[in-house]
Amino acid sequence: MIALVRTEMTKAVRRSRTIVTALALVALPVLIAVAIHSRGDRPRREGGGEGLFRLARQSGLVVPALVLAVMSGFLLIVVAGMLAGDAVAGDAASGNLRYVLIRPVSRVRLLLAKAFVSGVLIWLSVALVVAAGLATGTVLFGWHPIHVATVIGSAPGGAASLAPTGVAGAFSVIDISAQTLLVRLLEGAAYVAIGYSALLGLGTFFSTLTDSPAGAIGATIGAYIVSEVLDAIPELGRLRYGLPTHYADAWQTMLTQNTVSHDMFAGVGVQVAYLVVFGALAAWWFARKDIRS
Amino acid sequence: MTAVAAATIDPPEDAVVVIDGVSKHFGAVAAVDDLSFAVTRGQVCGLLGPNGAGKTTTLRVLVGLERPSAGRARLFGADVAPAAPALRRVGAMVEQAAFVPHLSGMTNLRLWWEAGGGRLRDADLDGALEVAGLGDAVHRKVRTYSQGMKQRLGFARLLLGRPELLILDEPTNGLDPGEIREIRELIRALSERGATVLLSSHHLTEVEQTCSHVVVMNNGRLAARGTVAEIIATSGGVYLEVDDVDRALGVLGAHPGVERAARQGDGIAVDTAPTVRRSDLVEALVGAGVRVETVTPLQRLEDAFLHLLEAGAGE
Repeated sequence: MIALVRTEMTKAVRRSRTIVTALALVALPVLIAVAIHSRGDRPRREGGGEGLFRLARQSGLVVPALVLAVMSGFLLIVVAGMLAGDAVAGDAASGNLRYVLIRPVSRVRLLLAKAFVSGVLIWLSVALVVAAGLATGTVLFGWHPIHVATVIGSAPGGAASLAPTGVAGAFSVIDISAQTLLVRLLEGAAYVAIGYSALLGLGTFFSTLTDSPAGAIGATIGAYIVSEVLDAIPELGRLRYGLPTHYADAWQTMLTQNTVSHDMFAGVGVQVAYLVVFGALAAWWFARKDIRS
Repeated sequence: MTAVAAATIDPPEDAVVVIDGVSKHFGAVAAVDDLSFAVTRGQVCGLLGPNGAGKTTTLRVLVGLERPSAGRARLFGADVAPAAPALRRVGAMVEQAAFVPHLSGMTNLRLWWEAGGGRLRDADLDGALEVAGLGDAVHRKVRTYSQGMKQRLGFARLLLGRPELLILDEPTNGLDPGEIREIRELIRALSERGATVLLSSHHLTEVEQTCSHVVVMNNGRLAARGTVAEIIATSGGVYLEVDDVDRALGVLGAHPGVERAARQGDGIAVDTAPTVRRSDLVEALVGAGVRVETVTPLQRLEDAFLHLLEAGAGE
């Protein structure tokens, strides 16, 4: 199994697409951090992420969280979809799959190795974004604690929540140390990475259904887009709680709260369920299918 | 030649490959239909058939890439299944050689070997590289290779494990005449060292020169199997040079054992039923006053192959 993982990892990391993607994942956080730095104190339009934009100027430790918030909703989904969807279909398209199986290699072990490598690379993608954001943020904004203005009593359980711009009412200011920020940042990054588990399961499954990597990648990303569309329909009620994207942003308030929220636990549960169900389906199908590529 | 009607076979003890009543259906289409044959140790067996005959599907079933709809395939006495241990004793090339294009030839060989849990130092790397004959190009990315280079690297890959059985699907596709000769000699050399070979090919001359036995498929079914000499003998073809071609054509056309007689060059190409002897034709012609100058048997695999396909089409 270790040998299989090693060979699959070598194949994945040595392709130019992986290297270009890695460079992009480093470059974008740098660009975003530089953009925030160059914007100065000019007011920003109200809307999502404004709080993190303001906080990022206080400490470089907030920059990676901001970058993750910006990139996790689409770009990282595309990257994860590419990695998961290409795993089997890419090998099938090149014709290499049949030779690996003739070697012979157990189909289920091969699938596990491919999914594991895809998962590791997805985690590394998130780690790259965080590392690039952290390094650039620290250089530009320093390694400081932050001071957060909170609306008193606005969060359940007494936890403080970040006050949106322009909210009138009673405020208090709490300090969050650099060490606490770092821990919360790592927890948030881990949640984002785990948040692609459903995508990994779906992508691996789709990848066993076709010999076209573009088809598998498209189906994986398409499934996520459909999930986001469905999640935006309140009339679906509790059904939305089972969608893979429903709890995707649950980590974003954690930076300024004291506890990991219930939504985050629910989000992890949904992700693991998708990974197990679609991973098992992929293994079942791949072990039985005729290899026609 | 073995009767073609047998649905199943009683394989000999030294059978390395057994295809026993194998069928493979894709929806309503039968790619392989109740096929049976065996290849014994040391044989070089050619799998012949026109496009769509089911050759590649048969080989895919044999190496565990596809499951038969009915029947069973066996290698070294064990049923074939995905990742069957018997496959470790097999070197296979199914359709074109394929690799990870963004890696070098050498890295491809190493990764392929290590994927099976082996260490490269245990493989016959030197022998394989000698066969590939790629020189320093083996360190270049495979995407820069010509089709011929990929085929040669494919041969190197299948030889890494010193296989006892080679399964080759159109192994000389994409190769130039010199490379085809090299591959033919390589197959012969491997056979002399005891390897068993099952190869499909469109190059009938190549099969005739390389193989000891032949299995002919048509429309997914077995058309004939036997030694090359036995298969060739099925054609019953003969070429006649006579003093009066038109008169001879008339005589031959009326002969009950003649299936086809046609002018070819200065003479006549005649296809006969297997029961008809050449002397019968000569006797008929001489009896009709036609002088026969030469009688040349058309003993080529190509003739036999086409004869078998035509016979199959007529059924």
